[in-house]
Amino acid sequence: MKNKLGQLKIQQMAFMLIAITIFFVIAGMFALTMSSANNKKDAESIREENAMTLVSKLANSPEFSCGDVFGGEKVTCIDSDKAMILAQKSIEYKTFWGVEHIEIKLINSDVEKLCSLQNYPDCNTINILNNETKGAPISNFVSLCRKESFEGESYDKCEVAKIMVVSKGI
Amino acid sequence: MKSKKAIQLPFAWIFASLVGAFILFLAIYISIRVINTGNMEMDLQTGTEIGILLNPLETSFQSSQKNSFSLPVETRIYAGCLEKGTFGLQTIQISQMSFKKWTDTNSRVSFENKYIFSRNYSEGKTFYLFSKPFEMPFKVADLFYLTSSKEKYCFIDAPENIKEELDSLGQENIATKNCSVNSINVCFSAGNDCDIGVDYVGKVVAKKYNRFYFEGDALMYAAIFSEKQIYDCQLKRLMQRTEQLSELYRDKSSLVSKEDCNSNLELAALAGLTGSFENQGELVSISRIAEEIKQNNDLADCRLW
Repeated sequence: MKNKLGQLKIQQMAFMLIAITIFFVIAGMFALTMSSANNKKDAESIREENAMTLVSKLANSPEFSCGDVFGGEKVTCIDSDKAMILAQKSIEYKTFWGVEHIEIKLINSDVEKLCSLQNYPDCNTINILNNETKGAPISNFVSLCRKESFEGESYDKCEVAKIMVVSKGI
Repeated sequence: MKSKKAIQLPFAWIFASLVGAFILFLAIYISIRVINTGNMEMDLQTGTEIGILLNPLETSFQSSQKNSFSLPVETRIYAGCLEKGTFGLQTIQISQMSFKKWTDTNSRVSFENKYIFSRNYSEGKTFYLFSKPFEMPFKVADLFYLTSSKEKYCFIDAPENIKEELDSLGQENIATKNCSVNSINVCFSAGNDCDIGVDYVGKVVAKKYNRFYFEGDALMYAAIFSEKQIYDCQLKRLMQRTEQLSELYRDKSSLVSKEDCNSNLELAALAGLTGSFENQGELVSISRIAEEIKQNNDLADCRLW
């Protein structure tokens, strides 16, 4: 009888220990899942935070900004001529801004006409960086200014455009 | 019967102890791993956030701007610089105090388009960032000066323009009068209690037996707030970007000349000089040619920037 009682105690203890192990495993898995969800949330909030300032930062960077060329310094004004040259330098600037894709689109037409040095300025889309990307673009309206000439006199021409940027995932 | 009972009890204890020890070991091991991963994640996240914090300082035309941030624990920020590639790299590594030990700093975030001037590492809970545009002769980049609240600077006998700029900036760890006892004294004239000497006319900063040559106020601040190796590396990176921008403006010049917009600037020469930049001594010749280009651009029919 006492022998049987002993065996029962061992069985009880074994079940108890297995139950404790399973409890710890489940608790650990739950903690890991929560932590991973938090990581994703943090990464997402950083990405959003970055995206908010990225477009205006890009438009005002020396490579894009109008500077003092078109009658005083303007915020979010892009020099179209500089952007055209930049489009030819996509290899040098491939990773410079930490973004996958930069495109500037005039909003004067529904039909997309990609700019090249041959057809510029008779076009409406300047593709500056075109790395393969799956992200959604962030966009902002900008003034797109360039020099034009009429009867031997050059003048400033500014139009409304949209800059679209796809940032790198974090 | 008695002897059987004696065997039964120790077996239960041995069994419980073994499994208990295993569970405890597993729990401790997992906890350590989770804490380490958490620390690393925290360091990377803080590094990225600092990078993002710099963005608003880059989007304005103001001559100088400041920002500050506080972290919940004692932190060391290592702002490093690498010369590789077309533009070089700005790296940020974070190490935080955890259980009275600094966390490992193997992980870092890097940026090609940022330039931070600081000591080898800045330590504290509150950090100050102040930015100023660097022009050669067009705007090349915004330079950032990173200091911690523990580093207090006092600018003694600074020229009026520098004094005004620093006073209007209102950064808590920079003073132009009433210097505290333990502050780092930056002297613009000869004095006894100087940690850093600035020859504003001769464009030299002397610090810890090192001489930093500068052109313009942005580089002067850079020399004051940074270590020599960081200054040299960032200067090289700035010249790399100046080279690319010179080429960009040169090509723009030929593009706009089709629209009766002419500007004859020696941008190819500037690109050549900045492209072959090796040391601070070459700054004088680069600055001279940049000044000529600036004057010609200001007078040109069609300004390029």
